[in-house]
Amino acid sequence: MKGWTGKTLLVDLTHGTITTEPLNMDIAPLFIGGRGLGARLLWDLVGPEVDPLSPDNVLIIATGPMTATGFQTSNRFSVSTKSPLTGTVLDANSGGYWGMRFKRAGYDLMIIKGRAPKPVYLEITPAGVTLHDASHLWGKRVAETSELLGQDKNKRNVLCIGPAGENLVRFAAIMNDATRAAARGGPGAVMGSKNLKAIVVEGDERVEMADKERFRFVQYEATKMLKANPITSQAFPEFGTAVVMNIINAIGALPAYNFQQSHFDNADAISGEAIAETILVRNAACWACPIACTRISKTSKGEGEGPEYETTWAFGAACGVDDLEAITNANFLCNDLGMDTISAGSTIACAMELTEKGLLTSDLRFGRADLLEQTVEDIAYRRGLGDELAEGSYRLAERHGAPELSMSVKKLEMPAYDPRGMQGQGLLYATSNRGGCHMRGNMLGVEVLGLPKLVDRFQIQGKASFVILHQNSAAVLDSLVACKFVNIAVAEEYLARALTSLTGITYSTGELIRAGERIWNLERLYNLREGFSRADDTLPPRLLNEPATGASAGWVSHLEPMLAEYYRSRGWDEHGVPKPAKLEELQLADLAAEVIHG
Amino acid sequence: MVDERVYEMFREIGRDMYVHNLVSSHGGNISVRFGDRIIIKRRGAMLGRLKPHDLIETGLEKNDSGVALASTELIVHRAIYKATPALAVVHAHPRVAIALSLSRDEIVPIDNEGSYLLKKVPVVSVEFASGTRQMADTLAEALKSYKIVFLRGHGSFAIGQTLDEAFQWTDALEEAAQIIMYAKYLNEEMIEYRRMSDSYSSW
Repeated sequence: MKGWTGKTLLVDLTHGTITTEPLNMDIAPLFIGGRGLGARLLWDLVGPEVDPLSPDNVLIIATGPMTATGFQTSNRFSVSTKSPLTGTVLDANSGGYWGMRFKRAGYDLMIIKGRAPKPVYLEITPAGVTLHDASHLWGKRVAETSELLGQDKNKRNVLCIGPAGENLVRFAAIMNDATRAAARGGPGAVMGSKNLKAIVVEGDERVEMADKERFRFVQYEATKMLKANPITSQAFPEFGTAVVMNIINAIGALPAYNFQQSHFDNADAISGEAIAETILVRNAACWACPIACTRISKTSKGEGEGPEYETTWAFGAACGVDDLEAITNANFLCNDLGMDTISAGSTIACAMELTEKGLLTSDLRFGRADLLEQTVEDIAYRRGLGDELAEGSYRLAERHGAPELSMSVKKLEMPAYDPRGMQGQGLLYATSNRGGCHMRGNMLGVEVLGLPKLVDRFQIQGKASFVILHQNSAAVLDSLVACKFVNIAVAEEYLARALTSLTGITYSTGELIRAGERIWNLERLYNLREGFSRADDTLPPRLLNEPATGASAGWVSHLEPMLAEYYRSRGWDEHGVPKPAKLEELQLADLAAEVIHG
Repeated sequence: MVDERVYEMFREIGRDMYVHNLVSSHGGNISVRFGDRIIIKRRGAMLGRLKPHDLIETGLEKNDSGVALASTELIVHRAIYKATPALAVVHAHPRVAIALSLSRDEIVPIDNEGSYLLKKVPVVSVEFASGTRQMADTLAEALKSYKIVFLRGHGSFAIGQTLDEAFQWTDALEEAAQIIMYAKYLNEEMIEYRRMSDSYSSW
């Protein structure tokens, strides 16, 4: 077996059994690994009758053929499950070292079923795979849990949940290597519902390659690209992802005050430059990553990882807060409690607006930096109002009679780009298979950063084609599994050649993108089977009706014409259902029968 | 109705192609894909002097009245869009590259920029090298793996997400071809400055 290890680990927590089976090579080349393979397996294993927090939901933790090969950013793994926040198909992925180690333990993926009768953790070492009692770890935070289980990034890597996952916070994260997070959509709550506290891995099996020499050449050429690109070689290492804060604010696409505005007067105070000048200790990198965008920061509360751009926005501009220290402390807490910073910050912002509009009784007001940490704690432990916030912004706003004040798509809180100032971004959010998400396609690159070339951010005509291409491409990256940031400099033609030299299976660039299209359509079918429809492919009414401020003043999202073009371009009907010819072309016709005809 | 921003891109890229000697007065053609529609240069229009009415819209799959006005190479553009992730196609007649294509099966740049951007450009041959199904299929197949491909004796076909990206590959190829030609004129022994340069042919 080349590229893949060929081995799947099956863990049944209800019965305490652990078995292995060969990787299904009828489907692996078509869905690659990671997110794609996860979605394909989820299709078979978790139907519409399954509650996401019931034992019948599964947790699929998958690497891809690229993982652990040493290719730039080949450190990631993906978690697939049915989301407790959105009810959609979900994948969330994370970097660090754990994914590399799991692959080097000899597995492509593991499927975790059932629910343990009491808290357990799983240990995977060359000596075997065993389940252990985790009663002494339950209730402990991420850093302490990781330490107690012997976290050593170069040898023994710990993946775990924190109190948020245990308490079934709907946006709880699965954390690894103490500070990395697979967070969006709440996979940590699924892990918590299974009474699974942690997964520890050791191993050092090298990935076999079909053509190592050719792989090294592709890697060498990719290195040139990464060194030459100013984002990957300068901006991200020096300022982190928050380098885009001032750029996004300048174009009037930085949502502030729960998207009531699309610029933030004091954005500079929470920018990448401000981080570098005030709290930054050093930058750091995931395994095999030359970009090193990670921030190691220090505040009066201590040293930790973060903040990323999205986090700085979520606890910052979204909440009307310009206190970088308070934002960073809230970030550190989210890491330690194990939850998604985007949903946490955006849900707090929603509560602030509900309060200011008299729909909720609380002390939360825009600008109350002093309340961020306590609110984050309350969410993780479901204390007081925190119990309501732990359900996410949509359920919170709905409970208080104003669901339109949740800035979410399919109940997943949108991140830090205002669709009114980036028209394609709005279409990306509206059609995202896991809900409001910026990682489903790099429209920031297309509409702002000029990757590969700048396309007018207010252009409507033809924008659907860019969204589709980048959605398909993102599905490929999530399935290889590689970091989205490598793709800033390294185009798909390099990834196709790397995958070919790894697996011995010829992938042209076109075929690789086609695999991404297959994955996207399968996820669409999954959501249709769950009952989602065209009505869910939309944005909060605020973005469709209330004009933007700042440099995008006067603009609203022109979603409808883009959506119609999107469906046509995807080969879907006017209801957003893939047409038979498209499914045939993508080798999905058999799977689709129950959705299309049932 | 074609968006004004789209026309502007056609006009600028078309003019630049002519100014850069990548096409003769009426040669070459360019297009973009918008979902299931194509916007393509009008048959017989001059790339260096495109007017709004020189942009013709027609179907990616289905014919309509637009095909009566569209570029001769519409069949090729359609095949490329159906086979690849391209959102834009640039077809040019770069002169030095055409000359090189007459004697080789691939153009492998020796300059830094060409090596960095292109690695290698395959040269393909067909019997009828203008607007035929065979030509369309051959080019579309090759463009699944390469962002720019050369049709022997005829010209380049480049793909990209935008016209300026496809234009960049085209212009870079002609620059690389000229440097190959100059180096050949000089007829001096080349000092290799690129690590792993033997591997470019395997790209």
